[in-house]
Amino acid sequence: MTAVRTPPPVKARGENRMRRTLSALGAAQAYIGLVLILAVGIATKGEIFLNETNLTNAVGAFASRGILAVGVTLVILTGGIDLSVGSLLGIASMTAAMMLARFSLEPWQIVPICMVVGAFFGFLNGAGTTWLRIQSFVMTLAMLSVVRGLDRQVSDNVSVGTQIAGPDGKLTPQAEAFQVFGTPGHNLFDRIYYPVLAFIVVCIVFHLILTKTRFGRHVYAVGGNPTAARLSGVNVTAVTIAVFTLSGMLAGFAGPIDAAYSASADPQAGQSYELDAIAAAVIGGASLAGGKGTIAGTFVGALILTLLDNVLGLNAVSDNWQLVIKGLIVVVAVVLQRPDLFTFLRGGSRS
Amino acid sequence: MSSEAGTVLTMRAIGKSFPGVRALDGVSLTVAEGEVVALLGENGAGKSTLMNILAGVFKDYEGEIEVGGQVAHIHSPRDARRHGIAMIHQELNLVPELSIADNLFLGRERALLDRRGTEARTAELLRGLGLDLSPRTLVKQCKIAERQLIEVAKALSQNVRVLVMDEPTSALADAEVRRLYGVIRDLTGRGVAVIYISHRLEELEEIADRVVVLRDGRHIGERHRIDRDELIQMMVGRPLGEMFPRAAGGSTGEELLTVEGLSVPGEPGSGRTPLREVSLTVRAGEIVGVAGLMGAGRSELLESIFGVHRAAGGAMTLGGRPYRPKSPKAAIRRGVALVAEDRKAQSLVLGNTIGFNVGLPSLGRFLRLGVVAARRANAAVERQVRELRVKAPGIRFTVGNLSGGNQQKVVLAKWLLTAPSLILMDEPTRGIDVGAKAEIHALMSALAAEGKGVLVASSELPELLAMCDRVLVLCEGRVTAEFPRGRATQEAILEAAMARRQVTA
Repeated sequence: MTAVRTPPPVKARGENRMRRTLSALGAAQAYIGLVLILAVGIATKGEIFLNETNLTNAVGAFASRGILAVGVTLVILTGGIDLSVGSLLGIASMTAAMMLARFSLEPWQIVPICMVVGAFFGFLNGAGTTWLRIQSFVMTLAMLSVVRGLDRQVSDNVSVGTQIAGPDGKLTPQAEAFQVFGTPGHNLFDRIYYPVLAFIVVCIVFHLILTKTRFGRHVYAVGGNPTAARLSGVNVTAVTIAVFTLSGMLAGFAGPIDAAYSASADPQAGQSYELDAIAAAVIGGASLAGGKGTIAGTFVGALILTLLDNVLGLNAVSDNWQLVIKGLIVVVAVVLQRPDLFTFLRGGSRS
Repeated sequence: MSSEAGTVLTMRAIGKSFPGVRALDGVSLTVAEGEVVALLGENGAGKSTLMNILAGVFKDYEGEIEVGGQVAHIHSPRDARRHGIAMIHQELNLVPELSIADNLFLGRERALLDRRGTEARTAELLRGLGLDLSPRTLVKQCKIAERQLIEVAKALSQNVRVLVMDEPTSALADAEVRRLYGVIRDLTGRGVAVIYISHRLEELEEIADRVVVLRDGRHIGERHRIDRDELIQMMVGRPLGEMFPRAAGGSTGEELLTVEGLSVPGEPGSGRTPLREVSLTVRAGEIVGVAGLMGAGRSELLESIFGVHRAAGGAMTLGGRPYRPKSPKAAIRRGVALVAEDRKAQSLVLGNTIGFNVGLPSLGRFLRLGVVAARRANAAVERQVRELRVKAPGIRFTVGNLSGGNQQKVVLAKWLLTAPSLILMDEPTRGIDVGAKAEIHALMSALAAEGKGVLVASSELPELLAMCDRVLVLCEGRVTAEFPRGRATQEAILEAAMARRQVTA
């Protein structure tokens, strides 16, 4: 029985600001993990690790997956899952490269086009889960396959380079400009590495959407209890379609970054990125049951995976072991979110 | 040790603490063979905790349990089962997708399923309880009343010596309660001891041999004779005024809601009752009751008015204007609120805070450029929560950790914040303690006095009789009678509620 007996009356407003801030920042265990990884990094390869170029490159390499993680977090908050984001990133990166190679479009034209492409497929995910009532796992699994197939079909299974040379043998102005999206060594205003900036901005924007707007509250309500949400006047269908569309749109936004980072759009680009994205959300405290999680948590979760890759890479740990360690970290993070598990492990009996 | 002949269960000095709460403190309880002991107390008094200890839900606790004179170490549901203790939880523990027979023997199957044997045994048990169901019927196809009896059958299949029933009647209509009583008498006749938790005092007079009252985790006293006033005083620790505070026959205003020939198709498979040409009116300042047995269409009627189901025929007006809600959202916009039947499943996001839940349907009012003005919203929520005297440390408190009565107050606060003109209430006092119940009744009266219309469905006839200006009776999705205040009696309502097709009142 939930026994709440004779508690004090409701407190006046404005209190517990501290606790509120903390909870907005995400789950504590994620920070513990972050500190641990930083410590390991500094202890083992201090000078190289703390080097600005190293850190920027590390975050840059992960930024596109971090952006996917933000979209996936939205979907997870409503109690769904989006497995298609890796494929969507792939087709968006292909779209970007082809727009550049075939039509010589300017970068600022390419990004919105990619976002629309991603949003279109995301919308189909949402439509399938709501109107056709297909479970989102199944719907997005199918989308993962369909979009990957389309990607390979339009590209003829050949990767499309983004370093396009003009008749004079130099990069075309559009290709030159496109590099700013993430080709290492090319900074925005010679100062800011675009993937890092993009990831941070996406996090801030969606953090604000989730915490400050009615739509954000509705996302949490749909994930927490869809029936109660509907009976409270929430348009559950619209919210569900919206989160999938936004997730697709973010995958589209991440496409050009990935293309610029690799200097080409590979038909296999983004494969298994969805798993890193989901892992980041889960490490950050999101619950696959829905209704629980924050963007701040996902941000920290993504940072952990990023730095983990980096630290292990610097210490020459093989890719194989990196995968093993990543998996273990996911399990540890989830276990740490369940303090009740510790009472169980301790044996529980007090008398 | 067996101090008394026939004592089957002794719980001695049981204590249990949860983080921050002393839920039970030195409570003792003895039960004799064939006895029905009622456990009474407000929500949070410790009844369920005590019974959960007995049923092995909690691993650790203080004190000692004896079954049949032997010390019993009960630390898991399996231990409890071995000692012949079975508990029927408030939230029924059946797997909807499995058949009745599979549910009855769940966890006790042989490695190679003996389908014929279990089905034969199940059929026998169901017959014994007067249930006319095939053992192969899936539980999801059974009505709540039937599921309750299936739980009883499950307990019986385990050679039960002590049967604990937590609020067994909260989901049942009166006729079904009768049947359950018949079953309980039959069990006690065979020497089974029954521990019965209920909030309905009137039931205890009929079924209980002895009433034990808990309050704040302590044993307050026990009585063999049931004196309602005294019991209420023991439960709440203070004398309580009139149970139903509504003054007779308030003046009524304009017609607020009219429903003409409303027909709503049922849904095959979900057990939803179709509505057939329902007509009714609710005036401003009026409380109209909806009575009927389980499956009569009470919830369906309220939900249809709230825009949950699409009507196939009929017309409604609200405040003199045509009213055809496409969705709950549209209904809310027209000033209608629904306090749904199942607060956990339909009304609350249990994992989120009081503030989140109360604010949810009213967020539109607090938007500034698409952004929720959090300070203004929180202030409004806090005012409403305080007004309804929700007992909680603050509006950041998680709703799932509140007691039932306080959860229901959160639901009410949420709807009052939308400033509705018509409030639909489906079982507003189910499963909550006397104190909170009286507060909700007072609130209903106050809302009517403010000129709001209230349409309330309840399976507790005394509540409807005392609170309502008029009572409609539904049977199989149609209105079979309507009684003005004063002319409604339990007998007349029950008769109309059982008026199958041929009879019309």
